[in-house]
Amino acid sequence: MPKRKLDPLPSAAFQILLSLADEDLHGYGIMRHVAEQTDGRMRLGPGTLYSSIQTLLEEKFIEEVDLRDDIKLGQERRRYYRLTSAGRKLARSEAERLADLLRVARTKKILRGDYV
Amino acid sequence: MSEKIYAWLLRLYPPQFREAYGAEALQLFRDRARDEKGFLPSLRLWLDLVADLAISVPGEYRSVQPALIRTPALRPLDGLPSFYVQESELPRLGALLFGGMVSLVALCAVPVLISDVGNYRPLVTSVAQPQPTAHERPSAFRRSAPQARNDVKEQTSASGQSATAASPLRPGDVRPSDFQSNSLALLGGSRIPQPQAHQTKPQDATSTNVRAVDGDVKLDAAQRQRVINGAIANLKQYYVYPGVAQKMADALLAHEKSGDDDAETDGEAFADLLTRQMRDVSHDRHLGVVYSRVKTPERPPVPTPEDLARYRKDMAQNNCTFEKIEILPRNLGYLKFNEFPDPPVCRPTVVAAMNRLRHVDAIIFDLRDNHGGSPRMVALIATYLFDHPTHLNDMYNRRENTTEQSWTLPPVPGNNLVDKPAYVLTSASTFSGAEEFGYDLKMLKRATLVGETTAGGAHPVSRHRINDHFMIGVPDARPINPISKTNWEGTGVEPDVKVKAADALETAEKLAETKLQKK
Repeated sequence: MPKRKLDPLPSAAFQILLSLADEDLHGYGIMRHVAEQTDGRMRLGPGTLYSSIQTLLEEKFIEEVDLRDDIKLGQERRRYYRLTSAGRKLARSEAERLADLLRVARTKKILRGDYV
Repeated sequence: MSEKIYAWLLRLYPPQFREAYGAEALQLFRDRARDEKGFLPSLRLWLDLVADLAISVPGEYRSVQPALIRTPALRPLDGLPSFYVQESELPRLGALLFGGMVSLVALCAVPVLISDVGNYRPLVTSVAQPQPTAHERPSAFRRSAPQARNDVKEQTSASGQSATAASPLRPGDVRPSDFQSNSLALLGGSRIPQPQAHQTKPQDATSTNVRAVDGDVKLDAAQRQRVINGAIANLKQYYVYPGVAQKMADALLAHEKSGDDDAETDGEAFADLLTRQMRDVSHDRHLGVVYSRVKTPERPPVPTPEDLARYRKDMAQNNCTFEKIEILPRNLGYLKFNEFPDPPVCRPTVVAAMNRLRHVDAIIFDLRDNHGGSPRMVALIATYLFDHPTHLNDMYNRRENTTEQSWTLPPVPGNNLVDKPAYVLTSASTFSGAEEFGYDLKMLKRATLVGETTAGGAHPVSRHRINDHFMIGVPDARPINPISKTNWEGTGVEPDVKVKAADALETAEKLAETKLQKK
């Protein structure tokens, strides 16, 4: 039943996976990354963010890393999250699915132009 | 301030979520609030938060179950005893199967216990269905008019005769209540000695409800032979006319010898067959063999207080079968009752009914649906029509060689009906005690009978046990009217004014009006 939660992968979860692709982040960091990578279109609220994180943790697509100090944000200790290899695989397959969709859209002349 | 508001809003989330992520959510809010200063950014922040709440709170509640499962694992309480919810996996297959089996066994046990434990079923049946079913009929209680009609329908169909639903009784049908009512006839009055062991009061009736059920028995030749022998023995010993008893015995034996009975393996059908064979000879409509799927006890049951209580309750429920007590136009009293119930139980009802009609100018007794009952009640009601004790009927009992007289009671103080015209409405289904009421009054010229010739059952019956499943109702007495010196057995009671039963009331009203005008 938790599997079903991520199938299909909700866009919030996909964005979180993508945001964690380069580095480990805490909740607020994820939120900011997601906002950046979507040009501010998706600003994850705390409820959505942490329920997605919870689900991804349960399915072991991300994991918690040790609490560490965030220098930029003062001395508060935060929980950081890291993409697992399963999570990376999931993100890749989702990206491929979208790429396939994109190809179809192009063949159907719904989307013009070259690869973005 | 705004942080406090958000902290308060966080309480909307399920506790599991708050415990796991509440602090971080608040932290995230703090981070954003710190970074997004100014009116527009904070407005956007709050819009985001509200939208987020609207979306994620219901979602969290939907997923509260998995959260429940995992939260304790996430936050173990070191060293402290605590409860854990272990619902992450389905129960083992074995456990499910075992649970299923136990439920199934319990479920099956209920009907099995109800139907298979011998003494239980009739009790249950009697609770579910107060009126006796077909196979319990031989010992049925007297019952209210609608029930009696149902009973008759069953009876006619069981005996293979056709009867419309509207005709409550066909001549030739024995009603179980006749057995009772007429055995009561033998009990009626004070001069008759105590009934013999075989004789039963009507109240005996429902005791069959606690008898064992054997199910249907397939009859073989030997069993049929025993039933026939038993019937013959009872006929010879008790039947009111010894000569006719002998003829019936011969007929039964002849039918048996010629193989007429060979096909019958069903108890009820065999009982009906014997009944027809006997009636072909005697034309006695009170006579009959009755089959009972319920085992009848060796000794006739003694009426229990429960039986009496049930009879009282039945009678209270249907107002002692007094269906209508009315004062019709021109001050005609109209009384419709469908039975002559036991006086000890129903005297107050009857007295109240008669009191209501004490000032009428004429009285109409509607017996068109009345199938008899207690001769003592016949005498009690007739009492209101006479200013002195009047000899109504005699009952000769062959077995005891006694004759019981039936008289009206001393006049009722305050009764004004003694000199008022009286009419009795009859139909082809007016039977037994109801016929006696009409016949007695007709002979005494105290009432005008209006309607149809009655069914013609005069002989009181007592029931005798042949074996576990067969009873025979044997008329063992006959009424002898003090005036006519005979009775209405087989012939019915001829009305004074012959009209269709449906028109009887209208006719009687007209007759009464005419008579009153002449006065």
